[in-house]
Amino acid sequence: MSDGAGLRERLHRAGYIADEALATTLWLADELQRPLLIEGDAGVGKTALAIAHASALGRRLVRLQCHEGLDLAQAAYEWNYGRQLLAIRLHETSTERVAEADLFARDYLLERPLLTALSSEQPCVLLIDEVDRADEAFEAFLLEVLADWQITVPELGTIQARHVPAVLLTSNGTRELSDALRRRCLYHWLDYPTLAREIAIVRATLPHAENALVEQAVAFVQRLRQEDLGKTPGVAETLDWVRALHRLGHAALPDDPHALTHTLACLLKTREDRFQLGPDRVRQLLEGRNRQASAGVAVKAASPA
Amino acid sequence: MPDAMSDALAPLRPAEPLQAIAGFAALLREHGLKVGVAEQQAFVRAALALPVQRCAQVGAAWRAIACHDARSWRQWPELFDRYWMPHRSSGRVRVSGQTRPARDIRQMVQELQQSLADSGASPPGRQALDTALQSAPEAEGAAESDAAPRAQGGASRTEALHDRSLSQWLPQDLRLLDQLAERIARRLRVRLTRRWHDHPRGARLDVRRTLRASLKTGGIPITPAWRRPRRERPQVFILVDVSRSMETHAQLFLRIARAFVQAVDARVFVFHTRLAEVTPLLQRDSANVQEKINAVTAGFGGGTRIATSLADFHGVHARAQLKRSAQVWLLSDGFDADEPQRLAEELGAVRRRGARIIWFHPADQRPASQAVQAALPLVQRFVRLNSLRDLAQAADHLQ
Repeated sequence: MSDGAGLRERLHRAGYIADEALATTLWLADELQRPLLIEGDAGVGKTALAIAHASALGRRLVRLQCHEGLDLAQAAYEWNYGRQLLAIRLHETSTERVAEADLFARDYLLERPLLTALSSEQPCVLLIDEVDRADEAFEAFLLEVLADWQITVPELGTIQARHVPAVLLTSNGTRELSDALRRRCLYHWLDYPTLAREIAIVRATLPHAENALVEQAVAFVQRLRQEDLGKTPGVAETLDWVRALHRLGHAALPDDPHALTHTLACLLKTREDRFQLGPDRVRQLLEGRNRQASAGVAVKAASPA
Repeated sequence: MPDAMSDALAPLRPAEPLQAIAGFAALLREHGLKVGVAEQQAFVRAALALPVQRCAQVGAAWRAIACHDARSWRQWPELFDRYWMPHRSSGRVRVSGQTRPARDIRQMVQELQQSLADSGASPPGRQALDTALQSAPEAEGAAESDAAPRAQGGASRTEALHDRSLSQWLPQDLRLLDQLAERIARRLRVRLTRRWHDHPRGARLDVRRTLRASLKTGGIPITPAWRRPRRERPQVFILVDVSRSMETHAQLFLRIARAFVQAVDARVFVFHTRLAEVTPLLQRDSANVQEKINAVTAGFGGGTRIATSLADFHGVHARAQLKRSAQVWLLSDGFDADEPQRLAEELGAVRRRGARIIWFHPADQRPASQAVQAALPLVQRFVRLNSLRDLAQAADHLQ
């Protein structure tokens, strides 16, 4: 079993630049066979981490996307009613009778992600994405799976995991997760990457973009994150934006804010944010100035006092 | 200094790393982190599993084990440094008496692994280690102290903060406010929706969903779908008066409103001569909320038009949501520039939609203006709100 450094190296090769603490945590999760809960703002690369982790370990990725109203039938298993009915009809024509046990066999069981991950022949990586969107009942069910690595199908009995999968849960904080689930998991808070790491990420993903463009654009986005935005741009947005600028033939970030206005759609995803970042503000950000006496708002706040 | 430290570490007995870890766990618990026996065991396992040359990473590994949410995640670096590297944080104030002078994590991990090798226990020897850990004095009480979280901060201190006016608020006041809002949110009565009132128990067949579900079983409804009684929290509307007469109080009111936006999804409006919704501005925690609200209300003229604003509120903004279960919280001193009888008319219109009206006023006495006198029977309750203490008292009446 290799340690965190080796894992970090392999994650890097899979296209994910992880810092040492994250690599250690991933390694530890594997070592202790505990699920890892990753929280962080949207777009910091939570899901990408799971995908890279799977490819770094050379394992298959099984993904369960959670949503409101997610139930067992969609998450764990479901009986294939169509096939069962068909089997009954077919047996009606022949003379032999169909036993009930025949109908509730593994052949008629549709595997959904959780069961797929547990019954997989090879060890795999299970990604439970946005677990905070699922409701509390599902979370409680998840506890059994994550604690004992087994799923109970009443008609069949308990299905035990062949290999304990590496489980990653991601959460955006839509709902507060229960303490029980939190304590079952290791925890990692994924923050926005530092300047150097983000440059490395963009370079790794877009090797053809010019260095000057990458550095300036990432610095711009880092400054943009300090702004009071409704939706702070994540790493994915940075990548989109640099890709767009590169396609448009920019070798460096243009000085004219008007040239940027059209491409800012890659970074700013709400109308208020677009409104807030007018050409003047963009120019200030380009020049690297901080937010001081920027708009009329601050002036107005000063006057009543 | 480092020499003195290694001197102090020299006579370490094999059991000491475990005690050091137990002491660290106690410090974490003291600061509200949920670290029980299981976590402590995981600490030891992680420290044993890490190769010695990478033992600097043990902090990262332990962080993943001990932290369960973003708050504790942010607390971690300070706690970790305080315990393991007291020389680094020597300039800061030490609150806890836990800190002992000499501790070095690298050495501790080495000691731990060494002790394991010495005792001749092969990797399965972990079990012996676990029992040793459990018998460590501080680990004993772990489960109990977990169940009953200790009070944090002396009672006398928070007491004094209660009365603080807003300009002197500290972060812990804000936390207190959030807790209060949560408490009130829980108290708000969850009511059955109207269609369930006659027969509130049991489930009813949901024909539409049953038919839909039967499609995959060839039209045979094998798994019927049921409707369950639905209970809803009241929708809370908060109307904050930001006129000149309320200037000193509006900030407190907006803070409180912000807490309720997060706790109960309240919708917040500000008004003086006109009404504007500010809920989206309050959904994010940002230092310049006040600036933004100033910007929104900048065009408003002088005077307060409560009745006009209320008419706009129930006629336009909250038209569809003002129903029997809704609550309208009016935060105002009651000085109205509209004709006195109009306030009663507009409040009456809100009341006729079934919503309940609670009036929060900053002064000790309830508003005495003519307009408010006429509207008295329409307001369910008048509550004084000038500090967090008032809100705490009001929490017992709101439902």
